[in-house]
Amino acid sequence: MRALVVEDDPLVGDAVRRALTAGGYAADHVASAEAAKSALHAEDFDLLIVDIGLPKEDGMQLVRGLRARGKVVPVLMLTARDGLSDRVTALDLGADDYLTKPFQVPELLARCRALIRRANSIASPLITFGGLRFDLAHKEASVGGQKLELTHREWSILECLVLNAGHIVSKEKLLSSIANWNEDISPNAVEVYVSRLRTKLGQAALIRAVRGMGYRIDEISTAK
Amino acid sequence: MRSAPQSERPRSIRRRLFALLLLPSVLVLAAGTLSDYFTAVTPFREAYDQSLIDGALAVAANVHMDANGEPKLTLPPEAVAILRADSSDTIYFRVSDSTGALIAGDANLPEAPRSHTNPSRADARFLDEPIRVVSYRTYTNAGMLTISVAETTHKRDGVRTNILSSSLAVDLMELGIVLAVIAIGVRLALAPLREVREQIAQRSARDLAPLPLERVPVEIRSIVETLNRLFNTVSESATAQRRFLESAAHQLRTPLTGIQAQLELMAADEADASKQQRLALMLEAARRLAHTTQQLLTLARSDEAANLRWELVDVNLAVIVENIVADRVVTADRAGVDLGAEIRPAAVKGVGWLLNEAVGNLANNAIAHAPAGTQVTVRCGVHQGAAFVEVTDSGGGIPPEERERVFERFVRGSNARGTGSGLGLAIVREVAQLHGATIDMDRGPNGEGTSVTLWFPVVSAPPPRAYASTASISFAGARRP
Repeated sequence: MRALVVEDDPLVGDAVRRALTAGGYAADHVASAEAAKSALHAEDFDLLIVDIGLPKEDGMQLVRGLRARGKVVPVLMLTARDGLSDRVTALDLGADDYLTKPFQVPELLARCRALIRRANSIASPLITFGGLRFDLAHKEASVGGQKLELTHREWSILECLVLNAGHIVSKEKLLSSIANWNEDISPNAVEVYVSRLRTKLGQAALIRAVRGMGYRIDEISTAK
Repeated sequence: MRSAPQSERPRSIRRRLFALLLLPSVLVLAAGTLSDYFTAVTPFREAYDQSLIDGALAVAANVHMDANGEPKLTLPPEAVAILRADSSDTIYFRVSDSTGALIAGDANLPEAPRSHTNPSRADARFLDEPIRVVSYRTYTNAGMLTISVAETTHKRDGVRTNILSSSLAVDLMELGIVLAVIAIGVRLALAPLREVREQIAQRSARDLAPLPLERVPVEIRSIVETLNRLFNTVSESATAQRRFLESAAHQLRTPLTGIQAQLELMAADEADASKQQRLALMLEAARRLAHTTQQLLTLARSDEAANLRWELVDVNLAVIVENIVADRVVTADRAGVDLGAEIRPAAVKGVGWLLNEAVGNLANNAIAHAPAGTQVTVRCGVHQGAAFVEVTDSGGGIPPEERERVFERFVRGSNARGTGSGLGLAIVREVAQLHGATIDMDRGPNGEGTSVTLWFPVVSAPPPRAYASTASISFAGARRP
């Protein structure tokens, strides 16, 4: 996996590059939008991490330009500003996620993994999540080479959670992923399936219940 | 002594103008009334006096000397009757000689004193009644004779009363019209002032746009111009302050992020175990520094002066609560706290990120102080027309006597654990104030822990006025959904 960090602050840029390297990426660091453009021109990257506040051409303009040229590479934006409007603007411009400074390294890595997973789930049916491997085409999940025995509904719920990993998925959304035309399922059924999934996943992933909001799956590494 | 009533009653140009115009008008009208009265009364008095004079001359013509040379009135009784005849007044007459001895007529009738005219006239009293008397002095062989004719003043009084009342009626009517004209005139003259006053009164407290000058009268134009310059200065300094704080936030956050991330990476490097403990301490300090910086900047930016330029927009509290809970799932899980949300639709006018910071601080406090195994719940909704957002925990609670103080800057509760900046609740208070919201702090449900609720103004009410309103903090917790 190749990642490009576009950050004008040398200390932050170096830290992000080191963190990504430690997380198993081949990461490069450039300090301006111009340098980023020539790097992108020369090579393909699987992930872009862009600071909004770059000198001269800023991060927003860089991303807008990329999207205008049809580049689909996942983009995580970093900002030192806390206006909610920045978040909306960044996402509208084509960024895929957004992180406010100061952030913690595990959070940064989890976001990066989620972005790459989401991008890959479109391109290839095989994705990994922590110790889990998913074959979206065959609706199969395995842990350490061992295939998990999942019912259709358990699979649907797990798929829904993993594709939204790190985000809370509402009970209603999970319910609609398993509801059939001719069947009424009580919302409590979701709890039952989640409970069974937890048992089957064991230490491979962590499903958290957030009272009143839904469920969220996390890799064990970031859950600690 | 003069200052006392002034301090009770504010000075008013309208009242002043009214008083200044009213007094001379009344005086002029009063003078007019008097002059009208005398002008009208004089001819009547002259006419009545003339008839008395005629009577006196008629009597005088009938005084003759008798055989002894003594003066005698030779008026036949019928003539006397005619002389005395009058529909409303009693007529008296008297003829006396130079010694004042009565020759004929009514004894003791007073005479008009001599004057430069003959007959002379005077007002006097006779038989306990006011009378008008005319005395004619004539010289005969028997010496000076004084012939006085008098009448009571009934018809004179009647005429006088009539004239007085009719001229008073007309003049009072005139006075009324003058008063009305003055009142309307003053009102119309001051209308531009009132217009400006209303324009200022209707402005939102955060509106710093200059007042239009076109319709402002020259007399107060300089005041409005000064006001506009002041608006401009305040607006510029608010913008400058906001830019400064935004730039400070940006400038401080980036190096802090770098230091923090580098320390994190170094502390995680197990190859250099000897420095790990020191690195962990430095990392903790860097995090605390970053947190306090963030809190201080938020506090400064939620301050009203920096917020004159914030626009209050529609904010969905449900989205804020969702974000806050979603961002704290891992932290709560690590603390063993069961974090949950109860979300019902609730919309307020506000500044999204400030509300996010304020409610986030409440949630952070609750998670930090709730014992493992207990619940922290963030709620929002509408109760009796008022939108609210609330955070409840079942921690140790805040003693009632500390509840007000913990909202002050750098004050931490006696039950507080961990290392906080002591700014979290101060931010909550500032943000509540900016939104015109009130803060309720009480025990949580079941009487344990703490519950903090922000009540927003009822939606139908006008938008909150940033610096007119003060956030009030109450601890009764009477309103509970």
